[in-house]
Amino acid sequence: MPTAHAHPASEPRLSARARRRLRGRLAWILGGAVLTALTLSIAVSVGAVGIPLTSVWGIVAHKLTHGSALAADGVFDVSWSKGQAAIVWDIRFPRALLAMMVGAGLAMVGASLQAVTRNPLADPHLLGISAGGAFGAILALLHTGLFLGLLTVPLLAFVGALAATALVLAVSRFAEATTADRLVLVGVAVSFVVMAGANVLIFLGDPRATHTVVFWMLGGLGLAQWSHLAYPLVVLVLCGGWLWSRSGDLNAMTVGDETATTLGIPVARFRLMTFCVGALITGVMVAFSGMIGFVGLIVPHVARLIVGGDHRRVLPVSALFGGLFLVAADIAARTLMAPEDMPIGLVTGLVGGVFFIWLLRRR
Amino acid sequence: MTARFSTVTQLLAAGVMAASLAPMAQAETTVESCNRSVTFDAPPQRAISNDVNLTEMMLALGLADRMVGYTGISGWKTLDPVMRAGVAELPELSAKYPSKEVLIGADADFFFAGWNYGMKVGGEVTPETLAPFDIKVYELTESCIHIGEKAKVSMDDMYNDLLNLGRIFAVEDTAKALVAGYKDELAAFAKDRAEASDPLRVFVYDSGEDTPFTAGKYAMPTALIEAAGGSNIMDDLEKSWATVTWEAVVERNPEVIVIVNYGSVTAEEKRAFMRSNPAFAEIDAVKNDRFVTLEYVEATPGPRNIRAIKTLATSFDAARTDAVSN
Repeated sequence: MPTAHAHPASEPRLSARARRRLRGRLAWILGGAVLTALTLSIAVSVGAVGIPLTSVWGIVAHKLTHGSALAADGVFDVSWSKGQAAIVWDIRFPRALLAMMVGAGLAMVGASLQAVTRNPLADPHLLGISAGGAFGAILALLHTGLFLGLLTVPLLAFVGALAATALVLAVSRFAEATTADRLVLVGVAVSFVVMAGANVLIFLGDPRATHTVVFWMLGGLGLAQWSHLAYPLVVLVLCGGWLWSRSGDLNAMTVGDETATTLGIPVARFRLMTFCVGALITGVMVAFSGMIGFVGLIVPHVARLIVGGDHRRVLPVSALFGGLFLVAADIAARTLMAPEDMPIGLVTGLVGGVFFIWLLRRR
Repeated sequence: MTARFSTVTQLLAAGVMAASLAPMAQAETTVESCNRSVTFDAPPQRAISNDVNLTEMMLALGLADRMVGYTGISGWKTLDPVMRAGVAELPELSAKYPSKEVLIGADADFFFAGWNYGMKVGGEVTPETLAPFDIKVYELTESCIHIGEKAKVSMDDMYNDLLNLGRIFAVEDTAKALVAGYKDELAAFAKDRAEASDPLRVFVYDSGEDTPFTAGKYAMPTALIEAAGGSNIMDDLEKSWATVTWEAVVERNPEVIVIVNYGSVTAEEKRAFMRSNPAFAEIDAVKNDRFVTLEYVEATPGPRNIRAIKTLATSFDAARTDAVSN
């Protein structure tokens, strides 16, 4: 039998490849974890206020073991002020984690939108999602007041993002635009309309309050609080997990609608599903971080340059790079002009853009 | 009928006034406005002021009858009854920042405004763009920082504006008396207070949740806080109004927080925000619930600064007494 002939030869070859793949995956996971831990450590260590490194780690260790036997034994020599503890634990730590999640979420959305639209310029802002979020936030900040309490602004931002997505879907149905490129055009059109609406709100608002709007237009992570982190985490795990589980379909979509149809993928429906899931992720991220450009657009390209086009790898690597990049950008935003905060959108655009040009030239 | 009658009386009044001012009008008056010298051949007769605080300076000097209107108030703020009575006869020419047309259309000869108080750097309405239409501009001293260098803000900025307006409108005696009165009032108030030791650490919270918008070295609240025996924790910020990081606020640990009240987010909501965020729990002012609210008119340069100083001083004293009894 031919198979019997092939068997002894192919068995060790396959397992060697499998072993290599496993080793590669382990290296990625280990490297990612180390990089993440390192970046997070830097993020909690630096900021507008200088706190000695020993205090920073003392505070973190103290908080993590809070109430446990270790803490009760007085293992930690508490040498820091309560203000310093609040800065490290309640300001920097949740902020770094939020940056991680927002970066990961936006990069995954960018990667999957680029696949289903077959447009390398597709990003979370493309479909008016971010503009809708900004519109909602600006409405609350300049016009309605905090009628729903402290969560009014993120809530309205989220509702605005979903409303803009609904608008894109309605218009695409109205204009009978279900193909990839026409959907992109609808997104761009809706985005402009919603942005114009947001600018009308800014124009009508109190000029002395419009500085708060910059945050929603250029992004920032200053809203991070422990109690808010659950929302981006849940949506990232569920929606990001769904996207990853459909990696094979995303791969097929990049080849073309016809090929994908041949493979049994309901192309139009899958595209809309990806849009809606992307909108959900972006909506939640925008609600807490404002419009942060660049990450969702460029990070997937960087990931593809490094690990190739398979979305099983592109999605997790994009998530990792997106998260790391945004934490790093936030460190820069917090320290470059201290005690003032730079809008993070400026940092991602400037630093990221230059980095990407350098990367393009190198490859 | 009544309208015509009132026009006639206004004309008559203007005539009488012009006659009585005639000898003074001979003398030219030159005042410094930010980086410019502005020369007036005669006191303006058709003035317009922008924003509540600036309009109130005009009213305090009794200049309502030299005005043809005011701008930039009802678009985002409300006039309280006192001011409403003061400008009852005058139309609001523009609810928000006026366009050039509005000022020219009202046949104005004078515009009292400031940078970010009715005028924007590079905007449509500036001293330069109004000059061809013979509309002279006097700029709010506090706002000069937006177009050039300036000394740190102090109560003198406000006094300076009143005295300059007094010279421009030939009511110098009224202006001097007013300023002297304010100074006496504050001196008398200070005498009744206990001897203050170190200045209290004070943070001005205007707005913003991701990052706080606050008053820096050149914004009026810094002067008010210092006059009341405190120091603005952000007085090293070389800006008028600016955003800072929450980290810096926590680090500098203010003992009192001053909330500026205006716009759609209420002072109570701003206070609730500060109290709800665990990162701020260890700030002295939050721990001891030491919040003071200043209305927009009180926190920007104008006659109500005097009351604002008293409000601040009272709450500072209470904070000090607390600290001692704890």
